[in-house]
Amino acid sequence: MNTLLVQPVARKVTSVCWLPPRAGQAYTDTELFFVTGSSARHKELVLWTTDNPDFESESKPPAGDKALAKLVSKVTHDGDVHDIAVVSTDVIATASSYGTISIYDIQNNNLKLRESVTAHRFTSGEPAVGTALSVQPVNSSDAEIASCGEDGKIAYVPLARLDALQAYEVDSTVVTGVCWPTPSQVAASTRAGQVKVFDRRSPAEVSAVFVDVSNSYSFECIASHPSQPFRLATGTDAGSVLLWDVRNPKKPVMETLGVHKSNVWKVRFHPTDSSRIVSCSDDASIAITQWVSDKPAATRDVRYLSGFFNALSIGCFDVCPFTRASLLVAGSDSGNILMERSASTEFSLF
Amino acid sequence: MIKLRTAEGAVISVERDIIEQSGTIRNMLSDVGSTDKPIPVPNVSGPILSKIIEYCRHHRNDPGRRQPKETNVLEESDSSDAVIQRAIEQMDEFDHQFCRVDQGTLFDIILAANFLDIQPLLDLAGYTVANMVKGKSVEEIRSTFNIKNDFTPEEEEEVIAIAVAGKQPTESLPKRLPVFEQDQAVRICGLPGVPDSRLPFVNDTHAVFANLQKIMEAQSEEPVGVDGLLQTSILYREAMIRQIRVLQEAGETTEFIDAEAATFHAMHAVWQLLEIIYLSSNLPGLSTSIVPHFMEWLNFNFPAPLAEDGERVLGSGGTLALSGELWAYVRKLALRGHVSVLANTLEKVAPVKGLSAMAARWARDVAGIARDMPLGSSEETAGSFNARWRRWNEELQNAAAAIASLLPAEDEALEALYAVVDIMRGNVDAVAEEGESWQDVLGAMLLYSEPTALADRLPSLVGAAAEQFQIAESSLDRALLALLNHELPEFLVLCNRIDPWLAAHMADLMDHISILDVCRAAFAVDPREHYLVALAELYVGHENLWRVALDYLGLCGTRAARCVMAEYAMRVPLESDVKAQQVLRVCETYGLKGAADRIHRQLGRRQWQRGRLGAAIAHFAVVADRRSIGLICDQLWDQFLASGALTYGSVIDGVLAAGLRHERLRFLTRYRDFYESYKAKMHADAGAILLSILVEEIAPPHAVADLLVDAIPLLEGDELVFSADQTFELMRCAEALRQSPFPTGGSVDEGEMSIFSVACGRNLARSFVF
Repeated sequence: MNTLLVQPVARKVTSVCWLPPRAGQAYTDTELFFVTGSSARHKELVLWTTDNPDFESESKPPAGDKALAKLVSKVTHDGDVHDIAVVSTDVIATASSYGTISIYDIQNNNLKLRESVTAHRFTSGEPAVGTALSVQPVNSSDAEIASCGEDGKIAYVPLARLDALQAYEVDSTVVTGVCWPTPSQVAASTRAGQVKVFDRRSPAEVSAVFVDVSNSYSFECIASHPSQPFRLATGTDAGSVLLWDVRNPKKPVMETLGVHKSNVWKVRFHPTDSSRIVSCSDDASIAITQWVSDKPAATRDVRYLSGFFNALSIGCFDVCPFTRASLLVAGSDSGNILMERSASTEFSLF
Repeated sequence: MIKLRTAEGAVISVERDIIEQSGTIRNMLSDVGSTDKPIPVPNVSGPILSKIIEYCRHHRNDPGRRQPKETNVLEESDSSDAVIQRAIEQMDEFDHQFCRVDQGTLFDIILAANFLDIQPLLDLAGYTVANMVKGKSVEEIRSTFNIKNDFTPEEEEEVIAIAVAGKQPTESLPKRLPVFEQDQAVRICGLPGVPDSRLPFVNDTHAVFANLQKIMEAQSEEPVGVDGLLQTSILYREAMIRQIRVLQEAGETTEFIDAEAATFHAMHAVWQLLEIIYLSSNLPGLSTSIVPHFMEWLNFNFPAPLAEDGERVLGSGGTLALSGELWAYVRKLALRGHVSVLANTLEKVAPVKGLSAMAARWARDVAGIARDMPLGSSEETAGSFNARWRRWNEELQNAAAAIASLLPAEDEALEALYAVVDIMRGNVDAVAEEGESWQDVLGAMLLYSEPTALADRLPSLVGAAAEQFQIAESSLDRALLALLNHELPEFLVLCNRIDPWLAAHMADLMDHISILDVCRAAFAVDPREHYLVALAELYVGHENLWRVALDYLGLCGTRAARCVMAEYAMRVPLESDVKAQQVLRVCETYGLKGAADRIHRQLGRRQWQRGRLGAAIAHFAVVADRRSIGLICDQLWDQFLASGALTYGSVIDGVLAAGLRHERLRFLTRYRDFYESYKAKMHADAGAILLSILVEEIAPPHAVADLLVDAIPLLEGDELVFSADQTFELMRCAEALRQSPFPTGGSVDEGEMSIFSVACGRNLARSFVF
């Protein structure tokens, strides 16, 4: 059990993401930026900065009294921030509890709302909570955002034109997570415990459904492998992470990693070492699991991270993909920013 | 005719279609069929019931009576006044007349309409009341409705409308939603809020609290001991100190921050005093004298003399001015036992010009003596320490005598030195004269008179120290004195006055040290539970702290707290699906099955209202609410009949994945199978499925007619689908339908049925031929 550094911020941190280094300065960034989104009483987006651990001398003891991150700027957000996705160095997209997708520009270290659109509504017209969003992995300005919500819809919005929103009802329960395994394929997880895969070109039709028939789980989140689009990971409400290999859509191979005690809110393949999978949970811990391994599923190496002064659910995390040292930031319902920064011993470039 | 028995026992008869506007009666009748026995309506009196029947009779022919009324479509921008206005305008003359009754009757009507579930009447009466309230001040409303004001004026100022039990107050409810009974039970009450600056503290201490309960529970395997409790206690104190520091760093000082800082100082002083009395001085195998701990406590929480005083008195560049202030500083140092600082100061004073030779000599000597003050250590036996102490004390006595012999010399310096020595030799009068507060005096008495005193000496000493001071008025002083005197019940009450947080955690810690048991009898209810529940109630309305509050209630571990927790858990507002999951998770962790069931029902109803039928079924399935699931299935079926497009497939698929079994769901799935086979032109399969649905009688009675009509194209098609026996089966079903004693509700079109009969006949003939 490793200890996370804790910085209280007095607001529920419900989403977090790292910003890519500024263009042209990628190798000399001594400061890294990340954005957190908070919920409940303070609905805000906050831009933070923290020292790049790659530039910290080995001898220097880890910052004791020093704050982990410095607040750069903040802006109120319309609704609880339920997810943040990075579009580029200076553009982020958020999903809110009012069912909106908002695009924010970051200019001169200030967050500025560019545009927002209500993507999720019930048939009664009442806005539905947006649960997650994901940016199409294409390198162009007309990338699309896929967002999902409690109205059971997946909405597709081109970044450049939010008014060209298309929403398709794809599930009768809640769509809890969405990701793009490939630029033309969208996978979503549902409250009823299904993974549904869609072809972006025929977005109203489900092209495949995967279910774990032996258990009645709810799925809380989904993530796709950064380079193997057939590999998906879902977090369940029972505390396990399911790994799917859907090369054969008729017969998906599934493996259960029982790493947590309670709902897994978010799961990601480690961005710099995809043989590991990172998950955060309601049991106030983050687990880093070595899933590529010869050992059977029950005995995989798992490294747990938690903080003594953080007793409540960790709802979001993001691993910084731009540093050699491992740098992970997470947010919790206890109103803390949690961080792990350490020179990585397991990973070296050469 | 239906008979109703009123509260008084009178029986009133009324036509069935009139009273079926009441949802309650309608459901009752649909359960029992028709009955001759009077239906009891125990909470409705005769006159009110007559009035309600009058209303129902007038509105018996209104369209859409049975559906929840949606006529008052609200715009987002509508003010509540406009809404009321519109509703009032929509009333007809009868309604106006109907509502022109005295208040008592109006409220009785509301209660009865609520019980009988007559939504339009409830709306009517509700809007009438709203109209009475409209535009009036709180005072006027109170007098209109005879509501007693039980808030004091001070309270009234800080009253905030929190959603008791987590529900939103009616005015902030999302518009266009029908209001549930629970929503109407929302009260407004006065609670001090939790300021934002406190959130980190609350969360930190909640973590410590949770950890403490965990280790105490595992005590049988791994004893916690005084050591473990001390560790926890220190964690609590660190949180307080952090909070004090945060407040100091806040920059601007406002009244609020000052008050918060004072509260935290007080909390820390109380906490640490309890810690040194019951934990630090009880550590096994260590010096058990309380004196060093007490002095540490005293100088930490009530620092004196302040470092700034020292700097000012001693001057910056070593220029030391002899002044009254200097001697007061020196005396204070002695009183607080800062012996090494005292010695340094005196050595600095000695060479100063203007000091008499005698005074300079004695200043040096007293400095030397002060430096020699024996300090106890755990290696030393009490006997050897006492011997050293006696020798040192003799030295002091000698010095005191020598200085006294020089007095009165009109020398301020010598007088001050005498006072210092007098204090240090433990002269109670000198201590009392110098001490500014009871803490000062108690500290000096302990330090210089009883350097080896144990914690149980404190009550007798504190009496002596406190008697010369006015019994302090502040809660802090009274709490400290109560603690020193072992008056624990009073102490807890006073803690609560300082801060509810303190009382709750104090009571918990005292329980774990097992000193709470002795004073439990003094309280009417268990103090630990009481204060923890009170603290949780303080937190539960806060959007960020509801989970902390539920945790406190759950970890409290008593039955009563469990019940309170169930009540609150059911009422946490569920803005999002994730939050609903979290609340359900809490319920599961603490075994609140009942609360979890009610949350599922609530979620199910909400999803149903939103038209999310699949999700609604999933929630109702968890609590096995078969009736609601059946109704939703019927709704899906009706939607299909109305639109002609089978779109419920995705709805039931999601639910079936969860392994739910329900006859209506089975019917819908089977029917979909039929529909799809038919569309795929697999007529034989379609016919077989249709027949099996009918034969197994899984279809609801009102759907049978439609199924039979569906059979017509199969009967008439080119392909022979039904054999003779199967056709007979179909005809039997049709016959059963015709003879059914139940009103089917579905549309049995005679024309269609005769076509069906003809088709059957033709098919029969064909089947004989082939």
